[in-house]
Amino acid sequence: SDKMSDKQSAQKSAKIASGAVVCVESEIRGDVTIGARTVVHPKARIIAEAGPIVIGEGNLIEEQALIINSYPENITPDSEGVEAKTMTIGINNVFEVGCMSQALKIGDNNVIESKADLGRNMILTSGCIIGACCQVNTCEVIPENTVIFGSGCQRRVQTERPQPQTLQLDFLMKILPNYHHLKKTVKN
Amino acid sequence: MASLLQPDRVLYLVHGEKKIRSPLSTLYFCRYCSELRSLECVSHEVDSHYCPSCLENMPSAEAKLKKNRKRICNQLNENFRCANCFDCPCCMHTLSTRATNIPAPLPDDPSKTAMKKAYYLACGFCRWTSRDVGMADKSVASGGWQEPDNPHTQRINKLIEYYQQLAQREKLERDRKKLARRRPYMPLAFSQHTIHVVEKYGLGTRLQRQRPGAPITSLAGLSLKEGEDQKEINIEPAQALDEVEPLPEDCYTRPINLPEVTSLRQRLLQPDFQPAGASQLHPKHKHLLIKRSLRCRKCEHNLSKPEFNPTSIKFKIQLVAVSYIPEVRIMSIPNLRFQKECQVLLTLTNPVENITHVTLVGCEEGDPEDINSTAKVMVPTKELVLAGKDAAAEYDELAEPQDFQDDPDVVAFRKSNKIGFFIKVVPQREEDGDVTVSFKIRHDFRNLAAPIRPSEEGDAPAEAIWLTHHVELSLGPIIA
Repeated sequence: SDKMSDKQSAQKSAKIASGAVVCVESEIRGDVTIGARTVVHPKARIIAEAGPIVIGEGNLIEEQALIINSYPENITPDSEGVEAKTMTIGINNVFEVGCMSQALKIGDNNVIESKADLGRNMILTSGCIIGACCQVNTCEVIPENTVIFGSGCQRRVQTERPQPQTLQLDFLMKILPNYHHLKKTVKN
Repeated sequence: MASLLQPDRVLYLVHGEKKIRSPLSTLYFCRYCSELRSLECVSHEVDSHYCPSCLENMPSAEAKLKKNRKRICNQLNENFRCANCFDCPCCMHTLSTRATNIPAPLPDDPSKTAMKKAYYLACGFCRWTSRDVGMADKSVASGGWQEPDNPHTQRINKLIEYYQQLAQREKLERDRKKLARRRPYMPLAFSQHTIHVVEKYGLGTRLQRQRPGAPITSLAGLSLKEGEDQKEINIEPAQALDEVEPLPEDCYTRPINLPEVTSLRQRLLQPDFQPAGASQLHPKHKHLLIKRSLRCRKCEHNLSKPEFNPTSIKFKIQLVAVSYIPEVRIMSIPNLRFQKECQVLLTLTNPVENITHVTLVGCEEGDPEDINSTAKVMVPTKELVLAGKDAAAEYDELAEPQDFQDDPDVVAFRKSNKIGFFIKVVPQREEDGDVTVSFKIRHDFRNLAAPIRPSEEGDAPAEAIWLTHHVELSLGPIIA
């Protein structure tokens, strides 16, 4: 019975901070917290199935991006002994169009380029760039300022971290409300 | 099924130095020789050089002129590289120039600072920047970037000059020997030898157009060259050393910093320096690409000549086979059974504007061209008539459909310049592998490029000649 009530309380609506711009056409399911100055484009999907998702400030989540905290493949939702793990995403990250991220821990200033695919057991530190169409599904911590690129997922280390997209965020926060309705959180 | 339209299902045989079987879409048609030509029986010539990213043109004649005129070797033109564009040394993508604003003191008043633009090179693919190797930002958007100098440039240039002179001298001696021996037949022997021989020491294929019946010009050329190269170039031989630099002491104990180690490909693309560390990888100018023209080896006419402008994909001369020869394509194949007669539907398309008559003939026993067929084929015996290609046909509603009186057993359908017809196939081998059939197609061809003969009254329409091609079709596996 404890488990049942836990599951019920987890089905809250998303907690969206006041400075965030989340379009109503985006799909947000489960216990999701979104920080201030984060922009979520229409058709982006943030799905917290197997645990909550906490997203920091200043993130840019573009169209058709999928951030999902899902159950690992061999575990069914109702099996016993499954803990809900929280997915944490830091600040100033960019999730480009069509990417998919299942990584449980993402730091700051990372860029996940279009159609990239991150596995659940990855941990991104900061300044990492996962190149377009790169599928990375290893169980490791990616060191800072790593760039993964190319069809063979080659790696190199860059000397500068990617710049935070402040200009783009400011622009979007001004323009998007002119064309889309926004999701707001009911404050308790 | 799209797989039936794959180009390698239908092959045409080309009679050249080698017998080549290849799809019609890859072949050329020399309308002066009236024969099919493949890429292997034509000579490929460089038309012009262009940079693939900035699309700047550099005709090869100009590039070579610059090389000979300037005694100081202009590296950019000699190596056929673009002056403006760079390649990323890490991933070989094209580098783009980015600008940042940096505060810089005003020249008039050092105490005030104004925002000045600083430019650096960056790769959009692997995120390499010119700052990674310590190259300072430049104040101009283009033209400020220099490749590092090779310390061995002078020695290499001297060696190149010496060996070029040597090669020329050897060539003169060789040609003079040939001259002495075969004086009456000289022009032909000379031209066949020197046109396609790649000269030693990389001087490149020099195409010397020898006009038949003019032996004097070649001799004149020889004596001129002799007069020019009076100056002897001497080089010092290379010196062998006994001692080699020893390895550093921590060679085995120092931990490897993997991101700093260059890959073989990165290293070898910079043959001057071949740096082992990624912090020594400097960007190189982008290599130029060529536009190539093709020439028939027998009659020396151009078969394909692209336009000069790099942005244009059209051709000045484009004698491709699909515009002259009727094309056979496979439309549908029933289940093929061993030693059972099956009916295959093929299409024939007429590429020219006049009516074409096509006769199909099966290959005879012991035909030397028929080496791959694994099935017997019965082709229609009657002559097939193909209507001309009429671009305006679909818009012309009043046109009367031409009546060709097709035999419904042979011709399945007819649609403007295309007909579908049946052939009967009896697979003869039960093994794995595709059923292959071959036959010959004989069609009439009106040569519009034939030289204009003085005609008596009334121009007769161009004479039709009959061409025969050997065609092989790959019909797929036998279904048991």
